[in-house]
Amino acid sequence: MLLVIEQFLNGLQLGITLFLMSAGLTLVFGIMQVINLAHGSFYMIGAYVCATVAARTGSFLLGLAAALPAAAFTGMLVEFIVLRRLYKREHLDQVLATFGLIMFFNELTRIIWGRQPLFLDVPPWLSDSLELLPGLIYPVYRLAVIGVGILVALALWYLFSRTRLGMQIRAGASNRDMISALGVNIKLLYTLVFGLGTLLAGLAGVMAGPILAVEAGMGENILILTFVVIVIGGIGSIRGAVAGALLVGLVDTLGRAFLPTLFRLIFQSATADAAAASLASMAIYILMAAILVWKPKGLFPAHS
Amino acid sequence: MAERLLEVVNLNKSYGALQATKDLSFSVQKGHIHAIIGPNGAGKTTLVNQLTGDIDSDSGRIVYKEHNITQLKDYQRARLGIARSFQITHIFENLSVAENMALALFAHSGHNFRFWQKSLHSSSIRDKLPEALARVDLAARAEIPAGALSHGEKRQLEVGMALAAEPELLILDEPMAGMGPGGTVELSKLINALKGSVTILLVEHDMDVVFALADMITVMVYGEAIITATPEQVRRDTKVQTAYLGEEA
Amino acid sequence: MNQKNRKISVIAGGALLLLLLPLVAVLLEETYFISLFSRIIIYGLAAVSLDLLLGYGGMISLGHAAYVGIGAYVVGIFFYHAQEMEPIISIPFIMHGSENALLVLPLAIIISGFFALVIGSLCLRTKGMHFIMITLAFAQMIYYFFVSLEKYGGDDGLSLYSRSSLPGLDLSNDLHFYYFCLFLLIGFLFLVKRTVDSRFGLVVRGGSNNERRLKALGINIYRYKLVCFVIAGAGAGLAGGLLANQTEYISPGLMHWTLSGELMVMVLLGGLGTLFGPILGAAVFLLMEETLAMYTEHWMVFMGPFLVLVVIFAKRGLFGLLTGEQNNNG
Repeated sequence: MLLVIEQFLNGLQLGITLFLMSAGLTLVFGIMQVINLAHGSFYMIGAYVCATVAARTGSFLLGLAAALPAAAFTGMLVEFIVLRRLYKREHLDQVLATFGLIMFFNELTRIIWGRQPLFLDVPPWLSDSLELLPGLIYPVYRLAVIGVGILVALALWYLFSRTRLGMQIRAGASNRDMISALGVNIKLLYTLVFGLGTLLAGLAGVMAGPILAVEAGMGENILILTFVVIVIGGIGSIRGAVAGALLVGLVDTLGRAFLPTLFRLIFQSATADAAAASLASMAIYILMAAILVWKPKGLFPAHS
Repeated sequence: MAERLLEVVNLNKSYGALQATKDLSFSVQKGHIHAIIGPNGAGKTTLVNQLTGDIDSDSGRIVYKEHNITQLKDYQRARLGIARSFQITHIFENLSVAENMALALFAHSGHNFRFWQKSLHSSSIRDKLPEALARVDLAARAEIPAGALSHGEKRQLEVGMALAAEPELLILDEPMAGMGPGGTVELSKLINALKGSVTILLVEHDMDVVFALADMITVMVYGEAIITATPEQVRRDTKVQTAYLGEEA
Repeated sequence: MNQKNRKISVIAGGALLLLLLPLVAVLLEETYFISLFSRIIIYGLAAVSLDLLLGYGGMISLGHAAYVGIGAYVVGIFFYHAQEMEPIISIPFIMHGSENALLVLPLAIIISGFFALVIGSLCLRTKGMHFIMITLAFAQMIYYFFVSLEKYGGDDGLSLYSRSSLPGLDLSNDLHFYYFCLFLLIGFLFLVKRTVDSRFGLVVRGGSNNERRLKALGINIYRYKLVCFVIAGAGAGLAGGLLANQTEYISPGLMHWTLSGELMVMVLLGGLGTLFGPILGAAVFLLMEETLAMYTEHWMVFMGPFLVLVVIFAKRGLFGLLTGEQNNNG
């Protein structure tokens, strides 16, 4: 039972990371109607900048403080130089151009930081473990990740439901024509939304840094999971991003943790392990397929 | 002559607070040209889309040739012989004019899983294609991409495709929109020539055209059908006069 | 019809070039070119099959490499079991491995096509951005599935040590193999050309252009798109089967989404909806990669921005530049 709770927390933590990735991306999809494959690159940039600054200064917080603006600024620069030209173009053009951006950013990080993965240490003040329940010891860092994620989710909720900027963004996500009728400076709004999205991606990268290896191409693995989240949740919907991210995080983590045990109860161990490993790696895609059959536009479609 | 082809019973559709069609009922006799008129925003295009299955109705019933088709999908209704033209031109811009027309002609000649023969050489349409193009005066433009046509020509193609499907019920959603005066006259003649052989539901703004062509007229105001009657009766009706005068005032 | 002549001469020139290239390579003693151009032909075949989706069907699949990979694995798995003298399956019937190209290549086509049928039937329930993301996600699922197959090398893949056998030809001979691939490419092009010009092709092209009108004409586009998706998947499977032979090696890397992206680049570079263009695109892409890689291992840092520029400024693709023609299929 303790193992289940522990894995549940792990799933929650993956879900939170995915939420940070998908919240920004789903807005970019919903508002600008642009499909951006390069979102994972900003996740990578966040992780690399934080790892470098933290290694130089010895301070994780300084690393974080450098990583967030770096991700946001690079994002806005990319929006200004490339993506802005693609808003009115077909999805195919957007896919190819952002694919080119991925190539560029991945190779650039290899040139700057080399092919060897970097390691980002958990800051000392978060490196302890807490005994949550008798016998359940859980790293403080992972709890902090969950906490930060919840805080960001609350902040986003506040931004979207209580502020003028948030209202404009939401209006844009559900009705693009309305937003220009309101006399909003769309170009600036788009750049800001894009920057906000890449900032969140950078934050996700920083938080994943101490858990995963920081390496070129790290953005693409999480990007595809993010796509699954958005497909499940529905394009342009923050609520959908929350639901999709938690579902994917939990199904993936719990599947990997418990499918082998379950299978061993039924089959011989050799077959069971192989089958369970295959199934666990495919679980979220099967989940996605099932939801698609049921609701082709996702759980919370933003456009009616 | 009194055979009913289409019957609409208590049809409803609302978008949020806006009720686009409201308990709409009328019926269309076979062979008639039945016009739908009404001020802007009366819900005419919504009605057309409900009839063709482009949008689902909230409630009500659509009966076509004694079949309840309310639940059928758009392409299933088309296969029963309901063809339409769109108010905003829907043609295949990247295909040639001949290919556009061929697709419409194919609609009534079996399945489309034919992989070998060139589409325009298909025996089922080869003979009909020149005639279908000539009918809307596009024979000389057959080879060029439909996207390169002039606006008026696109409208001709739009209507021509609906005709080419050889429908029993032809729904024309503002076919004259955007046509020059000459085009309007030509198209009126074309519609008049079809009278009796095809049942036509005509949504149109041009009152001269409507009163010249229609056997029956349904007047819609704010989503409701206030009267379904002959042109003379409609012309005399006080409710209709207030509706139109009210809009203009 | 000056433009038509120009197009025919471009195509004929390209065909002549591919036909004579090995002879020139042998004369110049640069036999390396034969295997490089075999690769170009195989990638060209995969790109043509993708053009059927992107250029004609309006289906932006970002998972096309999955079918290339499945085709390659079919050839690889049959080969592996033929070498190990161990049946592939023994329940409910015994199926042995094989090295015979006349068996394994058609199987690669059929099995890839079958996967395309299953995946396509789900993906085609969606449109637009959803479709792009879902095709990518399913391809990734297949990728992870093969990574988890320890028996066939998992992440590392499997070496095949030789090529398939074919009566009358020696596929291990690079020259024979080259002409075999070229023959299949020409055959595939011919079939695809017939298909896009046919009544079926007209419906698919119409559907990519204006689905609502097609429905108003009584045509449910779903089934036609699905068949188109299956044809494209089967073509990619053939390319995968050839690729496994060419490199004598299979790995999940073949179905990685970066390959899907590269295939897309080839199609766009060569010319969307031009059928022959994607072969040109494959040639240019692979030759650029080859050339840039000679100067720097970081060639992608140049290729990336190049792609962005191509997308923003050169919409017609190289084939359109050569023939002076706009595609009218999209």
